Amino acid sequence: MVRLSELPEYEREHLLAKNMPPLGPAVWTEAKSPLSALRIALITTAGLHYRDAPAFAFADSTFRPIDGDEDPDQLVMSHSSVNFDKSGFTEDVNLVFPIQRFKELATKGTIGSVASVHYSFMGAGLLPESYEDSAGQVAGLLKQDQVDAVFLTPV
Amino acid sequence: MQPPRALWVPFPLGRPLGKPADPAFQTKVILAALELLHREQGPVLEDFPHDAPTNMETQATACPVSFAARAAAGDSWQARLSSEFATLQPWYELSLRRRDGRTLVGLADKAPRDNVDALATLLDENKTPSDITWLKNAVEDIKAFYFEAMTAQPGDYDSDALQHQFWQESSLGAAILAFHDLFNDAQQAQMKLIARLLAPREAVADRDKQQAKFTGGHSND
Repeated sequence: MVRLSELPEYEREHLLAKNMPPLGPAVWTEAKSPLSALRIALITTAGLHYRDAPAFAFADSTFRPIDGDEDPDQLVMSHSSVNFDKSGFTEDVNLVFPIQRFKELATKGTIGSVASVHYSFMGAGLLPESYEDSAGQVAGLLKQDQVDAVFLTPV
Repeated sequence: MQPPRALWVPFPLGRPLGKPADPAFQTKVILAALELLHREQGPVLEDFPHDAPTNMETQATACPVSFAARAAAGDSWQARLSSEFATLQPWYELSLRRRDGRTLVGLADKAPRDNVDALATLLDENKTPSDITWLKNAVEDIKAFYFEAMTAQPGDYDSDALQHQFWQESSLGAAILAFHDLFNDAQQAQMKLIARLLAPREAVADRDKQQAKFTGGHSND
């Protein structure tokens, strides 16, 4: 998550002006196993999907599943916001969706395993409540995949 | 939002892992975040203390194309955009070869070249399109073509410098800002929202500042 001080002035003011209340009570779940035993999934709000999946609409609370075994270099980005840098993603998908880094960590035994499916949202144009149904679905899918923790990459 | 664990990183928005093509640094960011999993209580919001590395020896000083002489006075948008697109074409093809065919181009139904022609025709007639989904996908595709061409040579690129070159020096940047203005000048709030889908607030402000310098301190808004 980028620091507010790193944002362009316009973007910082835009976000601070939203002045949103906290989203429900803070949640906290202890990790009961060591890192080397945890199964981890990636979730990004960068609007990523494979080319044959439907592009995200301008304001869109749905999500796209990303099969961890497919070639991540085939992922494209249909995020509606123009207020963040996309040039780095052009160079390296792992900058936003670090699937190869997590597979390396699993191979080394640093983490237990990588989930079989990961998830992509498009974070723009809607308030957090709009994502409640989709987030609930993804939570269920993650449980089915026996995922212990998720690594979120907002853009 | 109060996520249970968050690592606050000093990287530009859109680069959550810090630096492209630097697996060691990306892994360092990931491990710093994963370390938060075993804190005894939360929520945890922790600073990542390292800036993304820069290697001045491999830093590309500029994109391979100069946009400085982009337009002669009186050129049509069609002439300006066609000429610029042709200049970038070989660099885009180099990018495809260097990146093993990887490209973000392809959201729109038609090829970028066809969409450039269609956008130029609209601007030369001072019109806005009615199909906003087409406009957005066409613009995003052509932007991807430009950025992939502009970063075709290996090396580190400064994202701020790239954004400045695109929005303030290229004819395509000027064309998208012209569409932004056409929508933003409309009365309906929905049209103003479309303007915001086309150009970053910062690019519009920078362009207005530049114009103000040339017009003796009066911006166009």
